[in-house]
Amino acid sequence: MGSSGHRLGALLIGFAGFLAADTSHAADTAAVIDRGAYLATAADCGACHTAPGREPFAGGLPISTPLGTIYSTNITASGEFGVGRYTEEQFSRALRRGVRRDGANLYPAMPYTSYAKFTEDDVHALFVYFTQAVKAVDHSAPKTELPFPMNIRLSMIGWNLLFLNSAAFVPDPNQSAEWNRGAYLVQGAAHCSTCHTPRGFLMQEQTSRALSGASVGPWYAPNITSDPTSGIGSWTKDDLVAYLRTGHLSGMAQAAGSMGEAVEHSFQHLTASDLEATAVYIKSVPAIHDPSDEASRFTAGRQSSELATLRGRDGVKSDNGADPAGALLFAGNCVSCHSAEGQGSKDGYYPSLFHNSATGAKNATNLIAAILYGVNRVTMGKQAFMPGFGGQPTDANPLNDREIMALGNYVLTHYGAGGTAITEQQVAEVRSGGPSSPLLMLARGGIAAAAVVLLLGIAFVLFRRRKIVSRPAAAS
Amino acid sequence: MLIPHRLNAEIGKRIGSAMSQLNPSLSDHVAGLLAIAKQKNAKIVEDFFPDVPDGPLKQTALAIISAWYLGVVSDAPDAEVFAFEYALMYQPTRDVMTIPSYAISGPNGWSSNAPPLSDMPEF
Amino acid sequence: MASDSSADVVIVGTGVVGCLVAERALDAGLSVLMLEAGPRVDRWRIVENYRNLPPSMRLFHWDAPYPPKPWAPHLETRVAKESEQYLQLEGPNARAYLQGYVRYAGGATWHWAGICWRLTPEDMRLKSLYGVGRDWPFGHDVLEPYYTAAEYAIGVCGPSDPALQWPPNAERSKPYPMGPIPFGPGETRLTEAAARIGMMNLPAPQARNSGVSYHGRPPCCGNNNCFPVCPIAAKYDAATALPKIEAKGGKILANAVVYRVETGEKNAVEAVHYFDPNKVSHRVTAKLFVIACNGIETPKLLLLSKDDRNSNGVANSSDQVGRNMMDQPKLFAEVELAEPLWTGVGPVQSSSILNTTQGEFRNRYAGAMFRMENFARSPLGSAAALKKGLVGKALDTEIRRLSACTARLTVEHEPLPLPINRLTLSSKTDWLGINKPNIYYDVSDYVRRSAKEYTVPRLQQLASELGATSFQLSPEFLNSDHIMGGCIMGSEAATAVVDADCRAHDHQNLFLPGGGAMPSGTASNSTLTMAALALKAADAITAQLKHG
Repeated sequence: MGSSGHRLGALLIGFAGFLAADTSHAADTAAVIDRGAYLATAADCGACHTAPGREPFAGGLPISTPLGTIYSTNITASGEFGVGRYTEEQFSRALRRGVRRDGANLYPAMPYTSYAKFTEDDVHALFVYFTQAVKAVDHSAPKTELPFPMNIRLSMIGWNLLFLNSAAFVPDPNQSAEWNRGAYLVQGAAHCSTCHTPRGFLMQEQTSRALSGASVGPWYAPNITSDPTSGIGSWTKDDLVAYLRTGHLSGMAQAAGSMGEAVEHSFQHLTASDLEATAVYIKSVPAIHDPSDEASRFTAGRQSSELATLRGRDGVKSDNGADPAGALLFAGNCVSCHSAEGQGSKDGYYPSLFHNSATGAKNATNLIAAILYGVNRVTMGKQAFMPGFGGQPTDANPLNDREIMALGNYVLTHYGAGGTAITEQQVAEVRSGGPSSPLLMLARGGIAAAAVVLLLGIAFVLFRRRKIVSRPAAAS
Repeated sequence: MLIPHRLNAEIGKRIGSAMSQLNPSLSDHVAGLLAIAKQKNAKIVEDFFPDVPDGPLKQTALAIISAWYLGVVSDAPDAEVFAFEYALMYQPTRDVMTIPSYAISGPNGWSSNAPPLSDMPEF
Repeated sequence: MASDSSADVVIVGTGVVGCLVAERALDAGLSVLMLEAGPRVDRWRIVENYRNLPPSMRLFHWDAPYPPKPWAPHLETRVAKESEQYLQLEGPNARAYLQGYVRYAGGATWHWAGICWRLTPEDMRLKSLYGVGRDWPFGHDVLEPYYTAAEYAIGVCGPSDPALQWPPNAERSKPYPMGPIPFGPGETRLTEAAARIGMMNLPAPQARNSGVSYHGRPPCCGNNNCFPVCPIAAKYDAATALPKIEAKGGKILANAVVYRVETGEKNAVEAVHYFDPNKVSHRVTAKLFVIACNGIETPKLLLLSKDDRNSNGVANSSDQVGRNMMDQPKLFAEVELAEPLWTGVGPVQSSSILNTTQGEFRNRYAGAMFRMENFARSPLGSAAALKKGLVGKALDTEIRRLSACTARLTVEHEPLPLPINRLTLSSKTDWLGINKPNIYYDVSDYVRRSAKEYTVPRLQQLASELGATSFQLSPEFLNSDHIMGGCIMGSEAATAVVDADCRAHDHQNLFLPGGGAMPSGTASNSTLTMAALALKAADAITAQLKHG
């Protein structure tokens, strides 16, 4: 945000706004601001642009990555440090094209490929909200300084040419108004595909496999297409609405990681009609079936326990002992809340471990991540919390990779996707923030210095690795 | 027959083998108890227990019951525990009281309500 | 950065006091090395140890899930003979000093109830107001900010209604970090019954997360197992602080049994010496030393460390080290009730009656705190019903009745600091050849008079208000596990061991914070006051090392 010289223009715009502010106009503006605020919530701008414990939208959330730290920017009305001096056109360009006021390209940590769907009207509302209603915070967020060649923002132009569809949302006349509203939200503001759609080699979203599941740092954003086995075809519209509102669906799934944040900061605040529209559209997303999925991740496992055999056998010890069995780790670490047979608490606060997407999925990433990082989400003033077991140095009950492997495999065998096995390496990978992109290896090898277009795709990886590094601090 | 509740076969095996080590006549006693039960056409323990004579037979019967309720066959401080979660002693109050170390509910989810004594849970 | 043999601050003991000092010192940029006599064991192991105990061991043998290492013995009570092994007790009330603390990394908070009462201003001025005991060298207003800091450091929940807060006559500078934990049926009935006879049962402030997570630890879900171990770390215990301390750069050495404090020039402490499990001795140096290994082990270590300069033992020119040993002598009544009460819902302790601790009567006899034990009584009810030889439906019905319609009511008396109540070194030695502690204990007429004239009649009254049909009083005074007084605080070096910052009068770089420093015991649980003293000492320590 180092550019200067447009101060006068910004002042004039502000002044004009002031002159026009008669009462009826003020009421109109208030309505626009309300809509802008609502859209900002739907787009979950605060998730990245508000650092924990800091002023809203003042940026500065550190996004730690193996290539350096990306900091989200100040998007408050501050003229010097925020978007206060942006014209509506400049604002639109940043939001929908990923180009800053000074002409520099944003890293695609900013989901502008989704925000490109925003209508002019909604861009206007967001512009008015951020420039007039969000309290200006007059300090700059720390500057992002990635090492070469990641620091060449210009290279994003090439990537954008290839992968940015800059058309705003066009309603489908053959569908209902509700469906179209849902499609607009899902493809645009809610940017579901950013996490749930798998990426191609250049880190572009593979539209042919839209919403069929992808890694998000240490978590996995699962298949949410209408396929009854691989996706969420078995969910009713009401199920989906309840999940988006609370992050919890008994006997099905819980939101954790970035989805927990999306529910907490965004979905729970949407109107009933928008959530219903979202559900209607999501339920219509073409089914994408993974042939390796024999059963739905929501029906795996059953209530069971090995305690009848094991209780008492281990006696009373004053040592930790090497390589404890998964059954022991499960008894010591899990059953106190999830019940002896994994059925969860009667009131549903602690979910059942069987019939649970985190344990039932063939991809055990979310099980590992949940054990490592826990769950922390607040909906309607109520917290859903599970402590982490070693993902953070301050966790009270740290388990090592080997222990989490043993524990995870016990859980998979008894309560989840029985055919799946976790390796110690997999736990280590999730602990370190999730799988890295092959591009990352290229970059490290130095080959990619010329292939700048390629490299900038890595920014996506970085973004998708972010949550785990930054959020646990936010949780405290 | 001695205990009118659902019992876990695995725990039964462990209790059985531990008890027969303490009491070599266990199987004879069990046979004796079953004979009395059969003679009385007993369906539940109350049908025949009054006819069990005081002495070793009754002692064994009470020891078996005690093992299922307490989860141990001996009260020694280092006795092997066969059941904690499945020990029957927690079951008659499980609608109100906690099985220690297990969540009673979600956070702060309990209250001062308690059903009457007559509402015996099924187990 | 601390090494295994040197740091700015060496802390002996990894309990709540040592850990609070360590965190503050690390936050101030000092290097910290902690030495712990016992092993460091994962929580889940201890939880499983508990579940693997026979039922008769689970309820009242809180050390049983913590089997001691040979080099770090502590009280074990599984059989009578065992309880005589480590602590050597004598005097008219030896039984009342059978203190159960854990020599494990994390210390005795592993099995504390988490109750966090503050002292009243009067509790700190017994001598001036009632002519008994000692006054503190500072007033309640000095302690208050440290109480608040301690409540935020360990995460204490409590009521926001001032009418339900304690003490009633001293302002709080900040609200509790979390709201109160709900009562179960038993506590609700007790509160109503007590109120009818002028006893006010207050929701206890407790170091337990109420409804929300705190410092990454989960909220309490009523596991009803605060002692002997909170299975989920919803209750603060110092074991939860250990990874945090390490994350801040602190070093923790387990199985390091400190047996000697070495003094040097100007009588400053130069080193401490410890044995490892192979009986090999190691010397550890520091700029400043904190000995925080509880009210028995700290005076024991000081007495063990006598040298030419300190012929009575380190820090003991006043001859007060090991004297004034205090704890609240406890009595309890097992009562059977006509109607169900239902304990076992929520934490094992969640409320107490405290208005009975205060009054002019304290010039003659002890004030006392009354409460009900809220552990699930189903194991007791079951054992009793089985003993009756019942079977079938009759057995289940009797188990339910005996579990619901019985209770244990407890009264804990305020002790006075008396020099005759004294810890000395026993001639008996432990596995490493270190002298075991020997303690003479007499609860004194101050307490006996209270029991006779005041507390036992009150206890009977409370029981009958609850509808008791039988009342069985414990035959003698028992321990409350609140070890206090052995390194008593006072402004005069001639009559006290430590100054107002818990610094040894005799050694400018030796701090002895914790229960041992408390000049008055009072009837309520001691931990929050110990934690506040730890934070006060930590301020003094960082000031001393940072600014000379």
